[in-house]
Amino acid sequence: MTEVTTLPDWTAIAPALALLGTAFVLLLADMIDPDDSNGTALTGISVTGGLVALGFALWYLLAGTGQPGASQEPTEGAIELFGDALVVDGMSLFFSVIITSVVVLVALASHEYLREHPYQAEYYSLVLLASTGMVMVTAANSFVTAFISIELVSLPSYALVASLKTNEGSVEGGLKYFLIGALSSAIFAYGIALVYVATGSLQFGAVEIAIADGVGFDSLLGLGMLMILGGIAFKIAAVPFHFWAPDAYEGAPAPISAFISSASKAAGFVLGFRVFVDVFGTATGVFDWVDAFLILSIVTMTIANFTALKQDNVKRILAYSSVAHAGYILIALAAFTGSVEGEISILGAGMAHLFVYGFMNTGAFLFIALAEYWDVGRTVEDYHGLGNRAPFACAAMTVFLFSLAGLPIGGGFFSKFYLLFATVTGGQELLGAALIINSVVSLFYYTRIVRAIWIEEPGEDLEPGEYPTGLYAAIAVAALATILLIPAFGFVIEYAEIAARMIGG
Amino acid sequence: MAVEPGWYLLLSAAVFCIGLFGVLVRRNALVFLMSIELMINAANINLVAFALVYGNITGQTFVLFLIALAAAEVAVGIGIILALNRNFESIDVTDAVTMRW
Amino acid sequence: MLGTHPLASSISIPIVPGIGGAEVTALFPLVTFVLILAFGRYLPFKGAFPGIVATGLGFLVALATVVEIAGGAGPRHETLHTLVAGVSGEGVTLTFGVLIDPLSALMLTIVGLISLLVHLFSLGYMNAEGEIDLPRYYAALSLFTFSMMAFVLSDNLLMSFVFFELVGLCSYLLIGFWYREPGPASAAKKAFLVTRFGDYFFLIGVVAVLGTFGTAQFASYAPGVEASFVEIATDALEHGETGEMRTFLGLGERAWITAIGLLVLGGAVGKSAQFPLHTWLPDAMEGPTPVSALIHAATMVAAGVFLIARMYGFYALSPTALAVIALVGGFTAFFAATMALVKQELKQVLAYSTISQYGYMMLALGGGGYVAAVFHLTTHAIFKALLFLGAGAVIIAMHHEENMWEMGGLKDEMRTTYLTFLAGSLALAGIFPFAGFWSKDEVLFETLVHALGGGAPVLFVAYALGLLAVILTAFYTFRMVLLTFHGDPRTDTAEDPHSITLSMKVPLVVLGVLSVVAGVLNMGVFKGFLPENALFLERWLDGATMGEQFRESSLTAEHYHHVLTHDFGAGYSSGYAGLGEGNLALVGGVVALVLALIPAAVAWRLYGGAEPDPHMMNLGRIRTVLMNNYYQDEYQVWLARGFTLPIATLANKFDQGIIDGLVDGSGGVSLFAGGRFRQIQTGVATTYAALLVLGLLILIAVFAVTGGWI
Repeated sequence: MTEVTTLPDWTAIAPALALLGTAFVLLLADMIDPDDSNGTALTGISVTGGLVALGFALWYLLAGTGQPGASQEPTEGAIELFGDALVVDGMSLFFSVIITSVVVLVALASHEYLREHPYQAEYYSLVLLASTGMVMVTAANSFVTAFISIELVSLPSYALVASLKTNEGSVEGGLKYFLIGALSSAIFAYGIALVYVATGSLQFGAVEIAIADGVGFDSLLGLGMLMILGGIAFKIAAVPFHFWAPDAYEGAPAPISAFISSASKAAGFVLGFRVFVDVFGTATGVFDWVDAFLILSIVTMTIANFTALKQDNVKRILAYSSVAHAGYILIALAAFTGSVEGEISILGAGMAHLFVYGFMNTGAFLFIALAEYWDVGRTVEDYHGLGNRAPFACAAMTVFLFSLAGLPIGGGFFSKFYLLFATVTGGQELLGAALIINSVVSLFYYTRIVRAIWIEEPGEDLEPGEYPTGLYAAIAVAALATILLIPAFGFVIEYAEIAARMIGG
Repeated sequence: MAVEPGWYLLLSAAVFCIGLFGVLVRRNALVFLMSIELMINAANINLVAFALVYGNITGQTFVLFLIALAAAEVAVGIGIILALNRNFESIDVTDAVTMRW
Repeated sequence: MLGTHPLASSISIPIVPGIGGAEVTALFPLVTFVLILAFGRYLPFKGAFPGIVATGLGFLVALATVVEIAGGAGPRHETLHTLVAGVSGEGVTLTFGVLIDPLSALMLTIVGLISLLVHLFSLGYMNAEGEIDLPRYYAALSLFTFSMMAFVLSDNLLMSFVFFELVGLCSYLLIGFWYREPGPASAAKKAFLVTRFGDYFFLIGVVAVLGTFGTAQFASYAPGVEASFVEIATDALEHGETGEMRTFLGLGERAWITAIGLLVLGGAVGKSAQFPLHTWLPDAMEGPTPVSALIHAATMVAAGVFLIARMYGFYALSPTALAVIALVGGFTAFFAATMALVKQELKQVLAYSTISQYGYMMLALGGGGYVAAVFHLTTHAIFKALLFLGAGAVIIAMHHEENMWEMGGLKDEMRTTYLTFLAGSLALAGIFPFAGFWSKDEVLFETLVHALGGGAPVLFVAYALGLLAVILTAFYTFRMVLLTFHGDPRTDTAEDPHSITLSMKVPLVVLGVLSVVAGVLNMGVFKGFLPENALFLERWLDGATMGEQFRESSLTAEHYHHVLTHDFGAGYSSGYAGLGEGNLALVGGVVALVLALIPAAVAWRLYGGAEPDPHMMNLGRIRTVLMNNYYQDEYQVWLARGFTLPIATLANKFDQGIIDGLVDGSGGVSLFAGGRFRQIQTGVATTYAALLVLGLLILIAVFAVTGGWI
């Protein structure tokens, strides 16, 4: 379809701009009355900003912005901005949709959660700034932009995890997140430096060309690539870079846990896809990153799932489940065969799984936010009998958990199925077997929670006070999305495939 | 008389390792932060050195960004360490172990 | 397309369906089954009336079918329903269909007639005696008729198996009709389990047939059926065209055909109560006597023999299988007859007699006498049903007393019963000119002829056993008649027996007349002196009335004879000891007659007086063994309890210990692993950093080496 008037190029990053703008508007709005903070207004502004950004991202994605036109090759059509520092293509728009939807849900849920929090405006603006960073990560086309955007994601996240300043858990979680994060970003920076040493440039396209021409210092390039992998592995919480995740997710306020476990992870994966598949795609002779991701994927899946079996704290169980899902999605990189082929490629399946995962994981953590709001305890025993008190929320939680397990109650079934399908058709039986075994193991702890909320007798009387509308709204939307993704999965995989082909070619 | 780039690599590797050592061994949160700084600056050394070798200015520009980012990180970090101190009465990172296993 | 006689269309009877609609013989009883099950309590005679109507109509249709076939209507082979459609070239097609040829038409008529008469008899036996739960009885009878008809109509082995099992189920239901007593319930279970044991081998045989030949069809007239498994096997052995069949276990074609034959024989041995699976039949006498007459004399136990007769073209290819069948049959005939000698209850004598007579039929099949076996099956159905119904009349008259020593002198009070019972007994003993004489002699003749022709020595042994059994049969038959009806009444009830109803007398008379005249069907003893076409049954089974296509096909007696006598088949030849066929038949008939008359006279001497003594007591220890049935029952119970049960316990332990253990174990291992992994997360930040760096270093080390960075 030909547009009669085309918007100027810089509008391609309208989602990021919308989020950034909303962050500033929030700060301004808070300045109006410094003594009082109108939580509802702040929530409203954040949600609006998020929706605007989501609207842009969806509009661009569906309209084919940055995607190959009818007569173009599958790898063409991306919009490059600012001297190739940014790129807006199918993948960046696809992931922007994920990120902005999560932001909307989290902002909505934070309304009641933060009712006594002294610094609400700062909280919301930090969330929005972090999400700006995430959207920029999806659009990064150079190591410089990538690093800066990653830091823009991480720094507010550290603060957000520690934002309950009087809560020991929150602070401790934030501390550990920060320490490990700082270490990882230092490693990441060093890795980028080594790549620069080897290739002489930092822009993705230039690096790709330099590698294709042959570099002088193979070992430096390889080491650099490995350290970049380390930095990305931190962001996506893959073993052995995941140690911060259980403590950070457990300590953080639940909406923030949702935020970093869904959106931040997605951003990390985008970077991983773009850097390794696009830039380092031909460099497997120097450093066989496919094998490295294979090791990482299997180890992550296994350790995370097995450790989750023995946990009693529900949030911690979900934290480990998050790590495990990172392992599943790593299959997309671990089974990469050099090009994106077949109707459903592994890369596309991985991206689709991230999409669905965004909703189900966010929803699960928001349910925990609801439980925290009602001061229900932290352990599985404390969740006994919640089904009687809050049947709708518990039904939604059941949908989330079983969808995470891969049962056909939500879109998680299809995405996991396609991952499995892609491993089998791609000849990666080991990964397929690991996926199956780990999914079976994970069913144990998901079912444990579901059993606790529905079947077990409540320990003591819990009278949920009021029913927080924001949280309920967010949970409802997440549940609806998860269920609707079963019929709508075709759309998701279609766009995921377009995105995958654009970088994988 | 230019110094051979190999020496710069060696220097930056040494600085990186010293920083890494500090991260692993020291328990004081602030010293931890300092060691992180060392590691980032090791990257900076590499970038600057090879910006000269390759003759483009990309490396130096990135160094500027890195310096600013490191500073921002430290700012956030100190804020968190302050909160740590308030809650746990110490800045020993091994003292905050309420969440384990 | 079917070989129809040009006059076929003019023979079909307008109102009643004939060969074209023969499946209604099965469907009518099915409808009544459902009807009685639903509304039994409200029906006239609690369901007897619909039963009588259904079986009556079925019998008429069967008769119409016979008439049409006699007029030349061709064989009908049609697939009625496809269960599983095999993809062309791959996989088998499983269907339900009908095959109506002379053999099945004959059997349909027998089943229809006996079933009708039993239904009629039951009015007097059950209804008039005021039995309760009668709808269940008539429903089960209807279900049985349906199953038996469908079994006879089956066109493939799998369908036969299905209805074989269903018939067994009905037997269970009917034997255990008075389930509130411990005896009938236990007997029903025993019948079911023992026949089930044989059916297990049958099932394996069915699967083997499907696997070997790709089809279980008996014939190939239907469109869509390329060849029956019998034809494929014959082709393999006759022309060496072994491409169509697959053998297993490294056996050659003939050996594998023998193996399959023996497997299917397992089912026949169970159902037809041959040694060693005969132990259920005497116990089955706990059921109502009309049931014994229908199921355990004339029809269900005939199913085994019918099955082998249906597949006779297949069995004729294997001399080993035939030898086994002959030996089993001959042995059973003798073995059961010995046990019948000492029994005191009327129905028990008849039960062992049934086992023995079915031994004769197996002997005939094994000895190469297809026509003889079918003939004996027909006559036996008639006279055994008659004897059982007569026994039923006696039992009613004696107020359910079954011990013959409590009877006596009934011939004066129960003339109809006595005369018909006598007619049946004379047929059973094989006295000229009653039906049994002709059929039994045919059996013995065929076996002798093929034994003399240089066949396996086993045939001589079997023949000898059969001949000995003639003596015993005559003796115990007359002992039974004399003790029951002659002499002085030994109890008060015997002096003044209960009168029996008309509904009981009519079947007795019908069957009585038939057992006198049925021999006319195939007067083989006189075959040297009769014109060619006088052997009606043989001509019938040859398809002489039907079109050419059938006559040249693989379902005729002539074809079986052809296969039997050639080397590619069993290789039997006929020897006449220099007498010639006709003379040998006559001599054989005379010898058998004499061998029957002498023991009859002895029995008359021993038991014919006014107050006979229990002479069997004189046998002492031998009698004890015979009364205890050679301890076969105890032996089988031991097999179940002392042998199978420990194996089952072992298997159960294996399942629970190892298999369940594996499943539980994997859960336990996972949790243990989880516990161990948990401890990595120590909670100390520097440990995290250390582990992170360690992981990174390991990765560097691995990839440095493999990537060649060093």
